[in-house]
Amino acid sequence: MGNTHSRGTMSDNNKDVSMIDVRNTNDNDKRGSQRAIVQSFSKLDIGDHDGSRAPLLRRRSTLIFDDDDDAPRHEENVEDQSDLNEFESHISDSSSVASLQQQQQENPSWLKLQAQREQQDQEQQELQLQMEQQQQMKYQAPREPFEDQSGSRSGSEPPVNSNAKVMVPVEITWQQGGSKVYVTGSFTGWRKMIGLLPVADQPGCFHIKLQLPSGTHRFRFIVDNELRFSDFMPTATDQMGNLVNYLEIATPYESEEHLQQQQETLTVDNESHMLQQQVPQPSHKKQFSEPLSARSKLALQIEEEPDDMGDGYSRFHGAKEAKPDLSYTTDIPAVFTDASVMEQYYLTLDQQQTNQQSMAWLTPPQLPPHLENVILNNYSVSSEQGDSGSENNSGSLPIPNHVVLNHLATSSIKHNTLCVASIVRYKRKYATQMLYSPLQ
Amino acid sequence: MTESVSLEQQLAVQSIRRFLKSKTSYDVLPVSYRLIVMDTSLLVKKSLNILLQNNIVSAPLWDSHTSKFAGLLTSLDFINVIQYYFSNPDKFELVDKLQLDGLKDIERAIGVRPLDTGSIHPFKPLYDACCKMIESRSRRIPLIDQDEETHREIVVSVLTQYRILKFVALNCRETRSLRRPIGELGIITEGQLLSCNMHTPVIDVIQLLTQGGVSSVPILDEQNRLVNVYEAVDVLGLIKGGMYNDLSLSVGEALMRRSDDFEGVYTCTKNDKLFTIMDTIRKSRVHRFFVVDDSGLLVGVLTLSDILNYILFEEN
Repeated sequence: MGNTHSRGTMSDNNKDVSMIDVRNTNDNDKRGSQRAIVQSFSKLDIGDHDGSRAPLLRRRSTLIFDDDDDAPRHEENVEDQSDLNEFESHISDSSSVASLQQQQQENPSWLKLQAQREQQDQEQQELQLQMEQQQQMKYQAPREPFEDQSGSRSGSEPPVNSNAKVMVPVEITWQQGGSKVYVTGSFTGWRKMIGLLPVADQPGCFHIKLQLPSGTHRFRFIVDNELRFSDFMPTATDQMGNLVNYLEIATPYESEEHLQQQQETLTVDNESHMLQQQVPQPSHKKQFSEPLSARSKLALQIEEEPDDMGDGYSRFHGAKEAKPDLSYTTDIPAVFTDASVMEQYYLTLDQQQTNQQSMAWLTPPQLPPHLENVILNNYSVSSEQGDSGSENNSGSLPIPNHVVLNHLATSSIKHNTLCVASIVRYKRKYATQMLYSPLQ
Repeated sequence: MTESVSLEQQLAVQSIRRFLKSKTSYDVLPVSYRLIVMDTSLLVKKSLNILLQNNIVSAPLWDSHTSKFAGLLTSLDFINVIQYYFSNPDKFELVDKLQLDGLKDIERAIGVRPLDTGSIHPFKPLYDACCKMIESRSRRIPLIDQDEETHREIVVSVLTQYRILKFVALNCRETRSLRRPIGELGIITEGQLLSCNMHTPVIDVIQLLTQGGVSSVPILDEQNRLVNVYEAVDVLGLIKGGMYNDLSLSVGEALMRRSDDFEGVYTCTKNDKLFTIMDTIRKSRVHRFFVVDDSGLLVGVLTLSDILNYILFEEN
């Protein structure tokens, strides 16, 4: 029987489970030159944060990483056609297997491509740009603070986007008596205790206003030298099984009302939908409020007529009438449902790439970096980790980044058994369900 | 003095009970957790490997044809298969190709009563979940909810007696007041305990497990001193890889298959306090305490259900 999640695999190769399977890391070594270029790209943006743009990035939080900032340079660089070709070949060579969740993730861009088949020349270039951007995102991944997740076993907090430097004021109250009340939690690394102030006229009530970054914070109260949790706030057990309070602090959004509405419409179940909407919306907003970022420019170029993007967005709210030939639909394009149409489409695509590597479309696009961090890979089987592992018998996992929710991860098929996993919200908690099933 | 200890214990138990009523099963779940589910069309021998790989001893089953929860896979199912194979050695082909949904046929063939697959909604009080477990004499209870849109069942998680008691030990300060000796409480199972010695064939021990409906059989030496224990979960290691030909081993030899991270055998005396017991539950993955006297002779056993039963229903 297959060691789909065997101990050996877990320790030797943490990436065995699922999403990572599509990536072949060795490819990087084979292409030192391309890699060097990409690396230099990803270095470019370090410290390149423009203060005025910070809120934007926060709004988008972890959905798309901060490649807005480095994209302009990247675009300059890729004007050289030869560079483009290099990337193209890199993409076509690298990686191997299409996994389900990858398809899901990539659909937006493919749909987009499909919608504008007439604009072939333009599209050709854009496709490359897009792919390249993905490529770039991939290499940026190490900068993301995912390491925190593995450390959360010892109490440190799962990822708060590194961009989210602006704090959110949060009022923490204790209503259950005592004379000296402190709060300690993941936001202080469980080391420092912050004293709460008594509320005037309300005996037994204490409060403190803290500036906290967005994300999930866990904390407990120390009331007269005793660790307690509040009955008035959400509770959950930590890895040890202790009850702690936790708060999820939403990423602060810009005050524009339509953005808030939009956020509200994006319910929990709509994560994947959100990804699809991602491309048009930010560009629209920036079009009016901010100087265009490279990504927005890119998005606009794809549509060829920049105004359409704005119109398309407004039409979403029913405000303006849009051009009839561009509209949202729930119909799946035939290219995805009809094998013969699909073949035709790719053959056409192939013919256009006469001067480049053919059959490039055979290789699936790169996996977005945030999907490469599978929290299941952070789960350690107890015997491997000594004491720390055996404490974790409730199956406790690090708190997942919300972008990985509702994706389907798969393990490689071994001994005719497939394991699929999906992280879903269950009320205010996250359930990572793994289903083992035979191939039939 | 003893009176005040008794009174304190009574108040503490009542307080713990209130705590169990005020919290739900959902509260016991971590913010993020994993749940391993198996399709009922999976082969039994593969399911065993999956359990061992993931270091778990049970998993909820899912019937993908009906989209319904299909019960729990536990070590008892493997014991049933072993017993079936032992009395039908010609049926190796059947055992080898047995799927999880065929376990019911095995139960019928060897004439055991299927376990009650009771479940509970995660937002029902923890107290109700405990009562249900005690009623059905099971050590774990699946938490089942309905999907809001499709109204189909969702397996949310599975709670065990151990997890609930650990949750109490970690989060109820009142456990500190449980200072009466457990010998006084009448919660220890005493008298003729099922037992075996190191040379008993393992298949006999497995039969003892099912006959007595117990999760472990103590292994004694000639002087009736406790030397080890054979647990129901130990059969998982015994038939690892679909090897059913090791059933002729003695229980001592079978124990050599046990993994190195075995927690050990926990003992206590009648003079130990429930507080100490709960503290041990908090610190270690223990599923029963063997009660020994000063010379190491086995006098009884204190199981997690004994403790849970006491907290739920005694000291009124």
